[in-house]
Amino acid sequence: MPSLIPPSFARAWACGAALALVLLAPPDAAAAEPYVPITSPADGAPLDAMDQNRLVYEVDPGPRGDHVHVYVDGDEVGILRQLKGSYTLETLAPGSRELCVKVVNKAHTPIGVQDCVQVRVE
Amino acid sequence: MENLVYALVQLVHNFGAVAVTAAPFAAFSPARLAPESRRGLARLVAAAWLVQIASGIAFGATSLHYYGVLPDLSRVARAALIVKVSCALAGTALVTLLFARGARWTEAAHGRAWRALAALGATALAGAAVLRWFS
Repeated sequence: MPSLIPPSFARAWACGAALALVLLAPPDAAAAEPYVPITSPADGAPLDAMDQNRLVYEVDPGPRGDHVHVYVDGDEVGILRQLKGSYTLETLAPGSRELCVKVVNKAHTPIGVQDCVQVRVE
Repeated sequence: MENLVYALVQLVHNFGAVAVTAAPFAAFSPARLAPESRRGLARLVAAAWLVQIASGIAFGATSLHYYGVLPDLSRVARAALIVKVSCALAGTALVTLLFARGARWTEAAHGRAWRALAALGATALAGAAVLRWFS
């Protein structure tokens, strides 16, 4: 008896179902917890206002994260897509400054994983 | 699931972008110069701008739902978003005006309105590219 469903239609549905399974699959439970430590400068470190200061980081964005944003005193100043690297900070005004790195998803929404250090710019 | 929601919102937003940009250009096709034909295009443009506004809000709402915060945007990206929102509001206002008073407008005025709608759609599309890569 011939099938009521054309083969091309069945194939399209199979592809759609496979795609839905991939998209709806829960994140890998065994995946490591995301982290993003700032390895330099250290918390409380003095920075020279005349120097080109570099922020050094490494990141595991985890299953929900995609890349990281860099902030100085709460203002976004950079987007970093490398998992390990550094970012050259623009001239910082003297005083106490907060440097933060946050893991964000593909829509640039912070997923709650971040590291911040307080530095003294002299 | 979260990626699927973002993808569906993006899907709707992309089709809206195609409509708000392409439909005003189509209004200059010789086959679309008749008032009735252009009214159909105007309905499409009006619906598409509303879809753009709704799906734009849905992007933020999705982030709020999953993480409790809105996406973080740089200054450049914020400026691009303001341009997009301004285009959406101006486009909606202009197409509403076209419905309300278009019957009394001259052919030249119609031409200016459709050119402005095309420019608003293209500007919003350009803003989207900046917003995507400067966020």
